Amino acid sequence: MTLYDIIFYLFALVTISSAYLVVTVRNIVYSAFSLLFTLFGIAGLYALLGADFVAIVQLIVYVGGILILMIFGVMLTNKITNVQIKTGVFQILPATIGVGIFGGFLLAVLLNTNWLNLNVKDSPATTFQLGQLLMNEWVLPFELLGIVLLIALLGAASIARK
Amino acid sequence: MSVLEIIVFTVVKIVLILTVMLLMVSYLVYFERRVSAWVQNRLGPNRVGWEGVLQPFADVFKLLLKEDIVPVKANQFIHTLAPVIALFVAFATYAVIPIASPLKIFGYEIPLVVADVNIGVLYVLALTSVGVYAITLAGWSSGSKYSLFGGIRSSAQMISYEISMGFSVAGVLLFAESLRPIAIVQSQGSWMWNAWIQPIGFITFVVSAFAETNRLPFDLPEAEPELVGGYHTEYSSMKFAAFFLAEYANMIIAAGMIVTLYLGGYNLPFFNIESLGLANWLTVIIQIGSFFIKMGVLLFFFLWIRWSLPRFRYDQLMSIGWKVMFPLSLINLIWVAVLIMVFNL
Amino acid sequence: MEAPLKYIFDSIQYLKPEVAVSIFLAILVTVDLVLGKKNKQVLPYIALAGLVITGYFVTQQFGTSAFASVQHNIGNFGLIAVDSFGNYFKLIIILSSIFIVLFSISSIEIKQVFDRHGEYYSLIFGMMLGMMLMVSSADLILIYLSIELVSLSSYVLAGFTKQSLRNSEASLKYIIYGGTASGIMLFGISILYGIMGTTNLYAINTILQNGAFQPLALIISCILIFTGFGFKISAAPFHFWTPDVYEGAPIAITAYLSIASKAAGFALLIRFIKVTFIQTIGEDGYWQLLGVIDWKSFLIMISILTMTLGNFSALWQDNLKRMLAYSSIAHAGYMLLGLAVFSDQGVMAILIYFLIYLFMNLGAFFVVMLIANKIGSEEIDEYDGIAYKTPLLAVSLAVFLISLTGLPPTAGFIAKLYLFIALVDAKMIAVAIIALLNTVVSLYYYIRVLKHMFLTKPKVEGERITIGIADTVVLLAMLIPIFLFGLYFTPIVNFAKNSIALLGF
Repeated sequence: MTLYDIIFYLFALVTISSAYLVVTVRNIVYSAFSLLFTLFGIAGLYALLGADFVAIVQLIVYVGGILILMIFGVMLTNKITNVQIKTGVFQILPATIGVGIFGGFLLAVLLNTNWLNLNVKDSPATTFQLGQLLMNEWVLPFELLGIVLLIALLGAASIARK
Repeated sequence: MSVLEIIVFTVVKIVLILTVMLLMVSYLVYFERRVSAWVQNRLGPNRVGWEGVLQPFADVFKLLLKEDIVPVKANQFIHTLAPVIALFVAFATYAVIPIASPLKIFGYEIPLVVADVNIGVLYVLALTSVGVYAITLAGWSSGSKYSLFGGIRSSAQMISYEISMGFSVAGVLLFAESLRPIAIVQSQGSWMWNAWIQPIGFITFVVSAFAETNRLPFDLPEAEPELVGGYHTEYSSMKFAAFFLAEYANMIIAAGMIVTLYLGGYNLPFFNIESLGLANWLTVIIQIGSFFIKMGVLLFFFLWIRWSLPRFRYDQLMSIGWKVMFPLSLINLIWVAVLIMVFNL
Repeated sequence: MEAPLKYIFDSIQYLKPEVAVSIFLAILVTVDLVLGKKNKQVLPYIALAGLVITGYFVTQQFGTSAFASVQHNIGNFGLIAVDSFGNYFKLIIILSSIFIVLFSISSIEIKQVFDRHGEYYSLIFGMMLGMMLMVSSADLILIYLSIELVSLSSYVLAGFTKQSLRNSEASLKYIIYGGTASGIMLFGISILYGIMGTTNLYAINTILQNGAFQPLALIISCILIFTGFGFKISAAPFHFWTPDVYEGAPIAITAYLSIASKAAGFALLIRFIKVTFIQTIGEDGYWQLLGVIDWKSFLIMISILTMTLGNFSALWQDNLKRMLAYSSIAHAGYMLLGLAVFSDQGVMAILIYFLIYLFMNLGAFFVVMLIANKIGSEEIDEYDGIAYKTPLLAVSLAVFLISLTGLPPTAGFIAKLYLFIALVDAKMIAVAIIALLNTVVSLYYYIRVLKHMFLTKPKVEGERITIGIADTVVLLAMLIPIFLFGLYFTPIVNFAKNSIALLGF
């Protein structure tokens, strides 16, 4: 096992175990908090894959933006209205069977597939290439993303307004 | 350099930076008290040591010896974790700020920055956004409504001002064509400071930096008349000290970032030190001096503002963030883009 | 270095309709901002102008087939395929959008939220842009993005009025279900990318043609991706959101979801399956698919399940909107059969079906809306004896419902006829019989409404329901084609026949 492998399994362990906690922990604040570590783990995996820009953007957007708003919502509803939001587990048997079958399928796929190895060269920085791609070949999806965000903004404003 | 040497140098740099930071933070507190006293025409702490210079150490000892009280209603684990996050974020951010050009010593060329990350600016932004957690979690876990309101206020404020901060930085990045702090410093040369080229961006960045560090006139998270002490109301002893230190460390980082991004970093103003052909160590010392003087002036500016301006109301704070600073930073971005296009800079 | 903006300028000539929609979206937002609280009546007319202009660009584009936004490093395949097939669906989307804007002008529900009209029409345009990209995108990333654009707008539109709990419930259920579906789809896309190394459908087809595929991973990724498509066309077992959302959403939006969103989903599904898995097209128009996945049995299973569930659930519904929701599920089942044939004839049947379905389904929703405007309810019991209060509306609704059943001389008959011809031609007799039996079942619940309208005495004597000139014109604009295409259907058949060509195949 090389150092690389060890770091990979470390990040993977952090991601998976905290993701497990997200769905099993009873207190919803702890759930949100475990999600923080899941997102950190994923950012670490990105960094390990050489996608430094994506890793840091993952932190800025998910950790700094989305999750904090989620915790915000949980805090406000949990404490101010004195409603204890707890999550529970229902329908254990069907869920276990469903997850088991699906998980088995995925495992079979995982083991029996020759995944494509993109020969990524050891590039020092991905930011420049990303910028080039987004402004040239992928400019259309990039612009479309702008419109998606505009629509999301309009929708949010419409929901929030009286 | 071998891996071992890199590790040794990095550890030495980390220790050095930590020591310097802790000293600076302690003395920043001392200066804050002296400056406020000066502004209000009184004396301030002047008994411990000569003119009170040993005051910070006395303060730290007092806080260390105090009893650590955790409220019954608090969430023990998160209550303890929050100040740790705050302190960690505050000190980790400093890793990417360069204080001088590389030092050549004993045949090695050592860059005077802990980590020369090629996305350093984003690293700072990312850590800043992690810093919000410290305050939010502290507010939530204390089990007190004052803390909760302080936490909510500050996270809302920090998220809002992060946007205009990010867009102001984008203007700088357009010029430097790099996210590396060292490259940004070098791109400004000795006189082409970003503060001159994009004054609007400079102003929005400075204002956002004030908001991000929760300093007056944006210190609503700890507005004493309404919230007792804000998110750290329920903290005492060393945990309180951790928040306190983190707040001042954040100020130093904000100043360091402003210097790096807008004020030419470690370069001397209007004068290219490297053209003199001085010995490398001399150049480095002059550059370090230049960096810290710039930072000192900015820090004084922070203190000066705090003791001169009243606090905003919360809705004013939000409307300034979204309706003034955000559009202004966008205008700045367009302005920079036009400059680059017209002058092919 | 590439020349600046080269990629934009190269493809803008093929993207005129999309650009027009985006520009009008921006205009709507700006005008809404400038006009302030009053004068919002102009917004629908700006929207109409935008739709007409977009429609003009689309008709201009008929006959073109080219890639837009070309990716030079993967064999010059593009992100967007501009072809007649896509343009046909774009036209359907634009036509239904025009009707929806007209509906919204006379809808009481929408009038009540007058101060949010700017958001309303902007969201409709955003949704339209998403759908237009859905029908023509040839790249999984763009497919995902456009589905997301459509979904985001429709989540908000479904709960737009915020007048009742039902309304918010619709929005919430939609967003939870949609979020899950698109998450699953994204997972499928990631697996597909993991084995193919490209997201372009044409490039994937090239790889598959060369025989390099891994069946297990391919099957699971396609099933996962189908979840996303199935959600959009509300095919069983991904249909559970449909009744609740259709019932709770404003009627204009329900009608829009049942036509345009479904059309876009179908176009996407057809394009995805045909472009990715096709091997050759025979002389007789039958497609030879690559033997990776047994799409035929899969789709037949899904479509029989869909139409049976839809029809049998519709039997028990007392709310007209809910009933129409289940009926639209059933219709999706019929149309899926057209795809399961895997021939050009089947696709032609789907195209004809959609054009006619547009008029009859929109018409039915329009009448329900006009009546709900007056009596404030969509319960079937409230329709007792309504024929005596408003003969025109009752007769029109009767015509639309008969057409939905598929009886002559209405256009619905032609739609079903071509579908069954395609099925019989492909020797899928058993399936055709199941579909026929389903149609018989559907007759019961459609006729039940007629019974309430014409044969039952009203419980309370109400006053007559009158409608304005404008509404009458809109109504006739949907009623006349039902009879016209029912008797003289050569033009739409020819139109559909000319539009089955996908780029490259």
